[in-house]
Amino acid sequence: MSKPLLEIRNLAVEFGPLKRPLRVVHNVTLAVGVGESVGVVGESGSGKSITALSVLRLVPVPPARISGEIVFAGRDLLKLPLNQMPDIRGKEIGMIFQEPMSSLNPVMTIGDQIEEALLLHENWPATERRRRVIELLKLVGMPDPEGRLRAYPDQFSGGMRQRVVAAIAMACNPKLLIADEPTTALDVTIQAQVLELMLDIRRRFNSAILLISHDLGVVAEICERVVVMYAGHIMEDADTRSLFHNPRHPYTQGLLKSVPTLTETRHRLYQIQGTVPPPGTIRQGCPFRPRCPVAMDRCAVEMPPLLAHGPTHRAACWATAPEVGA
Amino acid sequence: MSVLIDVQGLGKTFADTSIRFGPKPKPVRAVDNVSFQVLKGETLAVVGESGCGKSTLGRLLLRLIEPSEGQVRLDGTDLTCLSKPALRQMRARMQMVFQDPFGSLSPRRTVAQIITEPMESFGLVRGRSQRRERVAELLAQVGLPAAYMDRRPRQFSGGQRQRIGIARAISVDPAFIVADEPVSALDVSVQAQIINLLQDLQEQKNFSFLFIAHDLAVVRHIAHRVAVMYLGRIVELGPKEQIYSAPQHPYTEALLSAAPHPDPDRPHARIVLQGDVPSPSNVPSGCAFHGRCPIAQAICAVERPPLVEVAPGQSAACHFARPHPLTGVAA
Amino acid sequence: MTEFSLADANPEALAEREAIAAEPGLWDTLQDVFFGRPSTMIALVVVLLFIVIAVFAPWIAPADPLRQSFLQINKLPTWSHWLGTDQYGRDVLSRLIYGSRNSLIFGLLSPVFAAICGTILGVTAGYFGGVVDRVISRVIDMLMAFPELLLAILIAAALGGSFWNIVVVLTVAFTPGFARVSRASTLAVKQEPYVEAAVAAGVRTHVIIFRHVVPNILAPIVVLMTLWSASSIRIEATLSFLGIGTQPPNPSWGNIIRDGLTNMFATQWPIVSGGLAITIVVLAISIIGDAVRDVLDPETDQ
Repeated sequence: MSKPLLEIRNLAVEFGPLKRPLRVVHNVTLAVGVGESVGVVGESGSGKSITALSVLRLVPVPPARISGEIVFAGRDLLKLPLNQMPDIRGKEIGMIFQEPMSSLNPVMTIGDQIEEALLLHENWPATERRRRVIELLKLVGMPDPEGRLRAYPDQFSGGMRQRVVAAIAMACNPKLLIADEPTTALDVTIQAQVLELMLDIRRRFNSAILLISHDLGVVAEICERVVVMYAGHIMEDADTRSLFHNPRHPYTQGLLKSVPTLTETRHRLYQIQGTVPPPGTIRQGCPFRPRCPVAMDRCAVEMPPLLAHGPTHRAACWATAPEVGA
Repeated sequence: MSVLIDVQGLGKTFADTSIRFGPKPKPVRAVDNVSFQVLKGETLAVVGESGCGKSTLGRLLLRLIEPSEGQVRLDGTDLTCLSKPALRQMRARMQMVFQDPFGSLSPRRTVAQIITEPMESFGLVRGRSQRRERVAELLAQVGLPAAYMDRRPRQFSGGQRQRIGIARAISVDPAFIVADEPVSALDVSVQAQIINLLQDLQEQKNFSFLFIAHDLAVVRHIAHRVAVMYLGRIVELGPKEQIYSAPQHPYTEALLSAAPHPDPDRPHARIVLQGDVPSPSNVPSGCAFHGRCPIAQAICAVERPPLVEVAPGQSAACHFARPHPLTGVAA
Repeated sequence: MTEFSLADANPEALAEREAIAAEPGLWDTLQDVFFGRPSTMIALVVVLLFIVIAVFAPWIAPADPLRQSFLQINKLPTWSHWLGTDQYGRDVLSRLIYGSRNSLIFGLLSPVFAAICGTILGVTAGYFGGVVDRVISRVIDMLMAFPELLLAILIAAALGGSFWNIVVVLTVAFTPGFARVSRASTLAVKQEPYVEAAVAAGVRTHVIIFRHVVPNILAPIVVLMTLWSASSIRIEATLSFLGIGTQPPNPSWGNIIRDGLTNMFATQWPIVSGGLAITIVVLAISIIGDAVRDVLDPETDQ
């Protein structure tokens, strides 16, 4: 693989007082290649959304303190002056949020909202813009795009709104699309429509995708590579097949075993003991240790680094670590 | 097994009763002519998307919402014509577990106060020591240490709060429990714990269970029978194995195929339904599903298919339930 | 931040958790809010001080508040008259001390009565809805159409200006505000899942109202009460000025200011000291109101 499009290195985000900081993201390092789709999976408090928002510099500083590097297309976004970020947001990085209703302006027609993105970033004549807006609406599968230009967001259902949001995100052909739980607020059959839309975007635009989700199923369908986060740490980073067939971290293993599926016939579900720790409660060692079935003494003291389990598979666990020198 | 809950022709129309000028909003037909039974010790899962009336149905069964028509019998007693005091007495036999683990526990009350509330209202506990003993016992049954009883809900995580809500529901040893999406607000790694807990408790206490969910995968583990709802009506009802392996209604089939699956190699022939669920204030004519149905014919827009038995124990409301070869997921 | 515990079934994590102290009780919260913040503490002392002054007025006041002396008209403060004298030569400090009796009683009593009546009406309307709600709401709307002062004047004119009549007048004038607020809050609280949970659990309606509804709507009512207690002192002053409040020559803070106003160019001490007294008490009451609201709110951080 050539140089990655987005490279996050040692990203750390913390809140609260300097003396006793609340660290919500710990040394996150991940890369998204050109045209690659990467999923970030995690539960509440895993730091997955903060990581995604940090890329767009949408985490307010202060109160947050962010360190590390976020290199996008050769520039460190964290070092860029904030007033240059609007040129990157929307133009080079598109964003799809969880709530399709609240990310659209209720008093603007959808045509105007899509056009606004073009107006900000492209210097096109009005007729050209209008043509592009209709083309975008067609691309996201909006029926009767010419007729719906003058419609307001509340005239659409959840699935259709998410299509509009996707059209805005894709308006300027961004190199990277960040989708934060794009299907979570939607019904199952509508979720299916949006998943198809995401796959379609992947095929047609050749944009890289960073998909944030708590749903392993959604990630399995869309992404080539998956990063599993827990309590602000990356636990495992692997290509999708390898992660789902041969998970190396006890947390990933537990998650995969405990998720109810349609084909499963076992009577009882496997369960991970305990609950997700709130940020700041575990300050030393591996955050999964209190719930881990294979925890060792070392886990209480030292957070394991991401250890390689093959060319495209890394996991942060002492217990399943490959033999040294092997 | 004998029948515990018998529902006949249950319906609910929400109409705006306020005095106002101008046109009134159209009444919403939330539940439409629903009939089914729940056996003793059985779990019936009700599955559907938002707006299908599944939560309303659960509340109608407990008469937390007054039904517009139809009957609900619990062990032969018709709940729909009971007086308020008699209904309150019946609540000792039917309880509810709620979706929202944060909102359903009063933030001002301690865990012990929350759990003893149903017992107190039926005079089942007397005296402080007996109360605390009983709370400790119930906490143990839901897997929480007794030391937590004097704390308040905000000190607990979602999964723990849901356990407290479950302890409250089982405290009066009810014969029937309605659980409205009890795991959908929880973290993925905690859902399995709660599903297993509910299953274990049912095995010990043998209550009947109406389990409401939007997700067919979740109910796979807990249900004996599954009812699929669409726009206020039951479109398919049957034993779990048959629903999952041989669905007879195209909507059930679409729901089954729509769920994303955590296996990148599983071949998917996903049926993507076009359009959205119509509004319950404007239910389409004939079969409510015909506008989105991949196999709809002319008759579907005109005639409403009744829920008829298509296989032993399995009924579906579709004109083409039998001739159309449907495939589910392999069991 | 809220606390969670790690332990569900893992004994090691459980042991880790037990070190953390259990939930603070109501008493701890009270102590925290009242004694933890200096402003609240000071406000509490101020209000208590004024109550003590009002109760023991005859022992504290240096002079008879009604005794006039034409030799001592419009005096500036001296050792015998700490706040000077008014246009009739009455001792301002003594009048202020005696006046606190009327002002405090009106300022505290009427808002409390109004809060009780208004909450009963509002909760009934909000919880039961339907016809009950419509009737109560329309009556409240009607009362709200009149400004408090006008309403007070109307009722006072009809009933006469005795002490209890004024309490009744102010109570009636303030009730609609409380009813509105408590009705709206009740409607919101009624939607809370825990209220539905209580109904489903078989809890009796009156228990639900007193246990789950009323405690959760108290915060806005307490705040409103502190606001109205300020208005109450003010309106009593206006009524006194119009001759239907406290009857002269009896003092209240209101009529001290009114009398002072007509005599403003001879001496400023009566208005200034009367105004200051009202300001200090009202401020202290609002600070206490805020503290009470914090105690009542279970989600407040401690």
